[in-house]
Amino acid sequence: MKALAGSVVLLALAATAGQAATYPGKTIEIVVPYAAGGGTDLSARILAESLQKHLEGSTVVVRNEPGGGGSNGTGKGLKAEADGHTLTIGAQGPIALLPHYGATTYSIADVDFLGLMGRNLQVVLACKDAPFRTFAEFMDHARANPGATLIGNSGAGGANHLSFEAYGKATDTSYEHVPFGGASEALTACAGGHIDAVTATPAEARPHVEGGAVTPLFVMERERIADMPEVPTAVENGVDFTWSSWKGVIAPKGIPEDVRATITAVLAAAMADPGFVQKMQEMGEFVDFRDPAGFETLAREDSARAEGLIRDLGMYGMNK
Amino acid sequence: MEFLANIGLGFSTALSVANVLYCFLGALLGTAIGVLPGLGPVATIAMLLPMTFGLEPVTALIMLAGIFYGAQYGSSTTAILINLPGEASSVVTALDGYRLARQGRAGTALAVAALGSFFAGTVAALIIALFAPVLAAVALSFGPHEYFSLMVLGLVASVAIASGSVEKSLAMILLGVLLGLVGQDSQTGVGRLTFGMTDLLDGVEFVAIAMGLFGLAEIVQNLENPAERNSSVARIGGLRLSRQEFRQMRGPVLRGTAIGSILGILPGGGATIGAFAAYMAEKRLSRTPERFGQGAIEGVAAPEAANNAGAQTSFIPLLTLGIPANATMAMMTGALILHGVTPGPNIISGEPTLFWGLIASMWVGNLMLLVLNLPLIGVWVRMLSVPYRVLFPLIVALSCIGVYTVSNSTFDVMMMVAFGALGYLFFKLQCQPTPLLLGLVLGPMLEENLRRAMLTGRGDPTVFLTRPISAGLLVLAVICLAAMILPAVRRTREVAFEE
Repeated sequence: MKALAGSVVLLALAATAGQAATYPGKTIEIVVPYAAGGGTDLSARILAESLQKHLEGSTVVVRNEPGGGGSNGTGKGLKAEADGHTLTIGAQGPIALLPHYGATTYSIADVDFLGLMGRNLQVVLACKDAPFRTFAEFMDHARANPGATLIGNSGAGGANHLSFEAYGKATDTSYEHVPFGGASEALTACAGGHIDAVTATPAEARPHVEGGAVTPLFVMERERIADMPEVPTAVENGVDFTWSSWKGVIAPKGIPEDVRATITAVLAAAMADPGFVQKMQEMGEFVDFRDPAGFETLAREDSARAEGLIRDLGMYGMNK
Repeated sequence: MEFLANIGLGFSTALSVANVLYCFLGALLGTAIGVLPGLGPVATIAMLLPMTFGLEPVTALIMLAGIFYGAQYGSSTTAILINLPGEASSVVTALDGYRLARQGRAGTALAVAALGSFFAGTVAALIIALFAPVLAAVALSFGPHEYFSLMVLGLVASVAIASGSVEKSLAMILLGVLLGLVGQDSQTGVGRLTFGMTDLLDGVEFVAIAMGLFGLAEIVQNLENPAERNSSVARIGGLRLSRQEFRQMRGPVLRGTAIGSILGILPGGGATIGAFAAYMAEKRLSRTPERFGQGAIEGVAAPEAANNAGAQTSFIPLLTLGIPANATMAMMTGALILHGVTPGPNIISGEPTLFWGLIASMWVGNLMLLVLNLPLIGVWVRMLSVPYRVLFPLIVALSCIGVYTVSNSTFDVMMMVAFGALGYLFFKLQCQPTPLLLGLVLGPMLEENLRRAMLTGRGDPTVFLTRPISAGLLVLAVICLAAMILPAVRRTREVAFEE
């Protein structure tokens, strides 16, 4: 009996060792939890191209599993076999926010973080005809009209909404949050002057800023950003507040150690590839590679912060 | 003069050998995927996007645009032939188009659709060239209040669309609105009517409902009634339009083009609403409204012109403001950005070759579609002479694949089957499914914009009347309502007099 158990262990060990030697044994799939064509999807496609280049003999394909604000695809990706052939794009929303609302089949504890790909920087814009044009004017207006400044966001409970709730908390001001069906809808309403301010990424904001319809107020970073060096940060104005959303590569826990080491090394190489970085930058993405530990720290911090906000808003577990 | 120079630049770009070739390729692919129910342009463009990396940006965009309007053409073909509208905007075409096909006039219906679309596409491209910047400003002036009033007008108009009992139409609209409420509430993020199913958090997939109610339900009906089915297959009908048929479609195409062009500019379902609105307008204007729903040529010509015009003018917000009007346009944004072009107000001055080349290619593309589709009509119609026992399993299989590809979800396929059963029930109860679809599209937009308008207007309902566009739309809605009630009043009076 003991001998049998021993040989099973041996067999299992042999199997794992064999796996590393043959990885990738088949096509590697990257699950994108959003519809094709969005920023995350396009980034994933560029990453797939770069991965193929850096992992000899591999075929990497992208599979879109949209739905549930990303929770559908993330859930499917995390339920896949942990053999390194199914990777998932892990974004802030599905990993750090959605589990707190209760409608996910997973939690952050199920996630193996493999590498951060990039962040989406956030810039706050004054809309057409808004009664403020600078950070100082904005804050004065907000203090003089508590709960009345109209802040558009891309959807109730999304990162775009929570970040401004958090900003209100940090500055002890309050706002009227107006949810729209997506970031571009909110930005359109902003360019049309139907709301007062909105948050967007620098790439989304650029054409409207250049067209003169909107004015950038501040960025939610610690340092000024290369894309918009003339725009101040909240931090330099004495408000200790930062927020950005992010995306990286995740997998279910339990990938054999040697396979995991191969993947993390290849991811690091693929994301440092000049071609990858250049393509991402052309698309207006902010490349910010972090290793598994750095990625996990960022995700866990954001998750804890979001949980506090969501509990304060009374939205915790509302879709359970 | 400057305009002529711009158009010249556009045509010199669009008529280069490579661009003509890719335009043709796009139009052909688009038609093919349009004919396959469900497999929409969004999925196709997503799949082809990486292949365009090596092309010039303008060439890539011309091909992707070709796929987009090619798909519009193609999805009308299936709507007419087998009552399977692959896209929301061709739902209306199915109403009279399929009737015509069953009367053995499929060729006529397809020819009317192709010619109407061609005319509308040509005019809409001209509108873009002439007025794009001005129209973009109009689109921006639409805020929550204006959208709410537009939806009110749409819902009032949708009662007029249905033939038969007003009570039943109202009931169907309400059912549609109710179905539209399923899923996450946009204003609070809470799941509504989901019964704890995460699959329902995003709402019920429109394509699944449309294909179930129309396509599957139709198949069950046909199987129940073999005699009627054979008669429709036997006769194909001529492709040539008679002089009288030309006269019949002239007015509707002109009006449909106008309505479609205007509504297409508005972000969010413009092309669909345009098709419905054009159909409604024709039915109102017609001296014989009872022919609508029974195979009226006007009922095919107007919505086809409107949805093609709308498809084209929906490029305006993208090219002038960088705002995608619908999911396909969002894909186009992605394509532009991937090619290093930022869509936005500067595109006309910054990328004149791209802007004018794309517009010129719309003319070229529409012409190609016409040349491509007129001869194909014979082929499509002959498809109908395939024995039904072979044809219907094929339609069912294609429908399942189509619905599945929308978001890779087997749940959606189940939904389609359920709605197929429901559609059969509606048929037995003589309830028309079209108002339901309208409620489904308009209801959630109405609610969302009402709540958003109340938020931005600080709870003041008079804003709906003090903002001019919003007030104008509401007045139109009232007129529409009056026009609907008055003939009924007049008729009862006439009846009273006769007695």
